Amino acid sequence: MELKKLIVDLSSLMSIGGFERFEREKLINLVGEHFDDAYLDKVGNQIFVKKCGKENAPRIMLDAHMDEIGMYVTEILDGGFLRVTNIGGIDTGIMQASDVIIYGNSERLFGVVASTPPHLASGSGKDLPKMDELLIDTCLTKEELESKIRIGTPVGFAPKYTEILNNKIMGKSFDDKACAACALYATANTPREELAGDVYVMLSCCEEVTGMVAPGAYALNPNYAMSIDVNLGRVPGTIKEETVELGKGPSITISAVTDRKLTKMLFDIAKEKEIPHQASVSPTHTGTNAVSIQLSREGIPTVDVGLPLASMHTYNEIISLDDTKTLSDLIVAFITDEKIAAEYGKGGLEI
Amino acid sequence: MRLCGRELLEYLCQKFGPTGFEDEVADAIIEQLGNDCDKVVKDSFGNVYALVKGESDDRVMISSHMDEVGFMITDIDSDGYIKFSNLGGIDPKVLYGKQVIIGNEKTRINGVIAAKAIHHKRREDRFTVTPIKEMYIDIGAKDADEAKEYVNIGDFGVFNSDFVFFGTDNKYAKGKAIDDRAGCCAMIEVIRKIRENNITLPFNTYFCFTVREEVGLSGARVAAERVKPSRAIILETTAIGDIAGAPAHKRVADVGNGGVISLMDRSTIYNSEFVNFTLETAKNNDVKAQVKRYVSGGNDAGHIHKSGKGVKCVAISMGTRYLHSPACVASMEDYESIRELVFAMLQNMKAEV
Repeated sequence: MELKKLIVDLSSLMSIGGFERFEREKLINLVGEHFDDAYLDKVGNQIFVKKCGKENAPRIMLDAHMDEIGMYVTEILDGGFLRVTNIGGIDTGIMQASDVIIYGNSERLFGVVASTPPHLASGSGKDLPKMDELLIDTCLTKEELESKIRIGTPVGFAPKYTEILNNKIMGKSFDDKACAACALYATANTPREELAGDVYVMLSCCEEVTGMVAPGAYALNPNYAMSIDVNLGRVPGTIKEETVELGKGPSITISAVTDRKLTKMLFDIAKEKEIPHQASVSPTHTGTNAVSIQLSREGIPTVDVGLPLASMHTYNEIISLDDTKTLSDLIVAFITDEKIAAEYGKGGLEI
Repeated sequence: MRLCGRELLEYLCQKFGPTGFEDEVADAIIEQLGNDCDKVVKDSFGNVYALVKGESDDRVMISSHMDEVGFMITDIDSDGYIKFSNLGGIDPKVLYGKQVIIGNEKTRINGVIAAKAIHHKRREDRFTVTPIKEMYIDIGAKDADEAKEYVNIGDFGVFNSDFVFFGTDNKYAKGKAIDDRAGCCAMIEVIRKIRENNITLPFNTYFCFTVREEVGLSGARVAAERVKPSRAIILETTAIGDIAGAPAHKRVADVGNGGVISLMDRSTIYNSEFVNFTLETAKNNDVKAQVKRYVSGGNDAGHIHKSGKGVKCVAISMGTRYLHSPACVASMEDYESIRELVFAMLQNMKAEV
């Protein structure tokens, strides 16, 4: 299993919010053999299980969300044009002249988001179009389209992965499938006798819209958890304390709403094992699944970890492959750490 | 390798040829022309002239431009992010998020046009276009020193866009630089048809592959003075608006209805006899053609028709959606219509036209 290939393969899959299971077979084929079990929970979260082999072992949850931003068809127009609505937050500034794939009834269709020629543009030219003002050009006839797609057919950005300097790579949907790949990779490559408990990698659904990790965490009932999601990379025009730096390792979130002691333990482990990492301070919210997991059942101790990512929610998100390696190392350290297992692995507070 | 039709178009479109940096395109064209012309020369501007000798000294010019819209690197900031300016008219709305290639004579490097994520934008800025000045190109450099190892101020850039055939019967092409590599491609294929059919044209024909159209039509200006033609055919692309909801008169033309013949644009009023001859030739040869329905744009004819003592011009354009973007869309049927129309015109063009 090669980490970069797994990241690209996973990120290429169509898994737009609500359509996470669209290519589930491919996902299982990619990683299934490395796990003891792979199942869907009641709401559609995909769980991969690796047992440590010990009796009454702690249950460790690793969460990364499977869903990606995308669109679905709302109207089929004359001349082979489509209108769409967004699933998840998309900056309409990236839309025009982008390549899309329409996941039709039985085939994939290619399309281009129309850009308005200057002589047809209205207004000052400074306003971005709204999502329902954009058109997707399929160069098919309306009749052909009506036989190949329907209202509700998902539309995603076309994958095009390109490497840039310093072992960085750009393309669609590293949010959050690069993290999902790291969690799967770290768990698959750790010999089961080294695991501090049974590991449940949850590829949760719908994070970008409504979030379905809460019922997932409830059903799974882990002893402790790590939520892994991308974190906003530092680029021109952003504020230092609100961002993290690509290439400096994963971020560990310090927040009033995550487990303070578990967070401290993770920092200590990273230091002890000399795993590059950086602190990310989010005082009152993490913007990730961490809080939902933390507040599940009687409260599940949760630590929030981030992969630095620039150009978030575009089809050319940028990550550092060095960071994905160190993130994987940090995940391995977390799932093999006996001190954490001893502290949090028992559960069951009697009152 | 000798390429034809859609493979040739894709090959030419994927070359790196922003305005002012057309040599890679010129080399590809010269390679594809092979030995099909009586003479191929390149001037100091970079214009390429391919001569097909005919029966008389009368000179006809056919012109397409090799350059594409692109970028020029204006600065590298202290963190290694790259500032740029557009070469040719590009709507800022098609820039954000697009992959690009930056290059000079020696190097090429990948990058992406980026800006701060929507998460960092103030609420009121989320619905306005990010100005080019607030965008930057990210090549992944860790600092300015590293960026400067790969990129210089004054380097050029183009979109990095996959060339895709799609739509009904896969007869539509999507990619960068269709403006105006489609014209260059048609000229190469017309020359080949003349040779393959052993045709001797009634006049010397100069196929001119010009530079710098996108910033002031200056390549064609010197090319016309050098060739001194009596008549000229300009093969171009034209922005069209045949998209859902656009009123008929603003559609300009329709994809699939053949070459678009201009009566008038912002730089030229075309010679009416020559225009009529073009439309009649299309009709007589069962080739689709349509008249441009909107006065917009301009092309190399702007300079050519006023060069020397004046030149009768006609412009035949391929109607192209989303012109000047990484995702231009055009019909291969239109491409073929234009190629056949030019081939027919050259054989039927009498001296009095």
